[in-house]
Amino acid sequence: METLTCRFGGVVAVSAVSFAVGQGEVFGLIGPNGAGKTTLFNLVTGLTTPTAGRLRYQGHDITGLPPHRIAALGIARTFQNVRLFGELSALDNVMIARHVRTHSGLMSGVLGLPSARAEEHVTRQRAMDLLDLVGLADRPDEQARNFSYGDQRRLEIARALALEPQLLLLDEPAAGMNTGEKRALSELIRGVRTRLELTILLIEHHVPLVMDLCDRIAVLNFGQLIALGPPAAVRKNPAVIEAYLGDEA
Amino acid sequence: MPAFLSAYDFLLVSMVLAAVLALSLYVPLMAGQLSLASPGFYALGGYIAAIMSTRVFPVTGGLYSVWLVLLEMVVAALASAILGLIVGVPALRLRGIFLALATIAFVEILRVVALNLTVTGGAIGIFGVPQPFGTQIQYMWVGLPLLGLCMLFVARLERCRAGRALVALREDELAADAMGVNPTRYKVLAFTVSAIIAGVVGAISAHFINTWNSRQGTFDTGVSLMAFVLIGGSRTFVGPVVGGLVLTALPEVLRGLADLGGLPAWFAQFLRDGRLIIFGVLIALGTVFFPHGLITPAVLRRFARRGGGKP
Repeated sequence: METLTCRFGGVVAVSAVSFAVGQGEVFGLIGPNGAGKTTLFNLVTGLTTPTAGRLRYQGHDITGLPPHRIAALGIARTFQNVRLFGELSALDNVMIARHVRTHSGLMSGVLGLPSARAEEHVTRQRAMDLLDLVGLADRPDEQARNFSYGDQRRLEIARALALEPQLLLLDEPAAGMNTGEKRALSELIRGVRTRLELTILLIEHHVPLVMDLCDRIAVLNFGQLIALGPPAAVRKNPAVIEAYLGDEA
Repeated sequence: MPAFLSAYDFLLVSMVLAAVLALSLYVPLMAGQLSLASPGFYALGGYIAAIMSTRVFPVTGGLYSVWLVLLEMVVAALASAILGLIVGVPALRLRGIFLALATIAFVEILRVVALNLTVTGGAIGIFGVPQPFGTQIQYMWVGLPLLGLCMLFVARLERCRAGRALVALREDELAADAMGVNPTRYKVLAFTVSAIIAGVVGAISAHFINTWNSRQGTFDTGVSLMAFVLIGGSRTFVGPVVGGLVLTALPEVLRGLADLGGLPAWFAQFLRDGRLIIFGVLIALGTVFFPHGLITPAVLRRFARRGGGKP
């Protein structure tokens, strides 16, 4: 992305931020609350249109594309404040995200044509595999809203993976998880990254997790990029320590 | 049984047609869109059938061909689909209450247009719409298959890719969009399906009630349809069907109660004429106490478990 700016009225949420994420990289995005991290995610996924600047993905200009087009290009995300389809089953949640990878239309689906049925079967199978991957295969029929917070976050990851993305954006995936769950999540992210050859953009407040997982980290403060580099370098950056890490590092 | 059928022929057919119309309101609601446009397409379908059967294929004596009725239904479906697309694309940019208001305005515009055109018979409307059947109960030959087809269609829709996209929009439009579901496309799709169903019901209704004018398919119809769906249930296709059947019969049952005698005159009068008031109150109470209606997927599951005798 290049010199992205996003203003809401007089508030500059993201100010001339530029960076490039390489393929296969796990890229961390940290910063204090209100620094513009989630806004940056919304810009990348098309939920918010930038006031200025361009977004480039695999050589294509994706600035201003609607979210579903960006999703179809292989960019999937989870949400900071979990946005599952609460009343639907866990399985349905994941199956819905297979939308851009399936093609049967209204009539073939309603008429139950062989092609649609075969596709439906594969969709269900893939969704079950993903539930298995995140450890929720034992209750596919349970309503998403009945899951614990940590399980909802994992279900959201399964749903995002159902899109078969090349770029996965995780917005605070470890929030609300205990230490054991965080460690399992770490393993999960590492696992899917290698297995599915993903590029991952990660927002996370839990510093050890970020430092442990990420190849490079960008630090935002008041919408501005104040540091960018490998974890070890960022950790020692005085501006970062002052703005965010404090004594924690 | 034959005596019952002929005594309540009008009511029974009305119940079936109401159930189909309720499905027409239900389909956009699957995508979370409260559209009250169905009465407009119902009116359109009725006019198409009335005009075709009185002007294009007039009969002198004898019965009107059932095949022509089916042809009218196809024409009504096509016309409704086209108008549905034209209205749906701009209207579905609106959300929630604004969409409801825009569709009410659409119904009102159609009504005023019909009231002022010559081809629709102006204020008098079109009367003497020819009959394809000798008795009213025979309209079931069209009504029941239509209801069956529409139920099958919506039931299958609930379980396929397109239907899942609709439900995802209802649950969380933003998340659905981010998961690759094109909101506009699927909302317009639902709206068009809804328009087609309503138009087809209108076509058969014009024959059934023998006359068609601008009092058919107005906002009142919209309120009734909303009651069918919101009270019957808005989370499974069974809800609107049961809602349409039961709530159409309800005024007759109440009238029966009123005629039993022994009731204060004002109360008997209310039971006879208070249909819309009762529906209004039911909608208000229903949305507070049963936000998803009386028949929900959970109720159906419990029912199936008990009925199926599985442990």
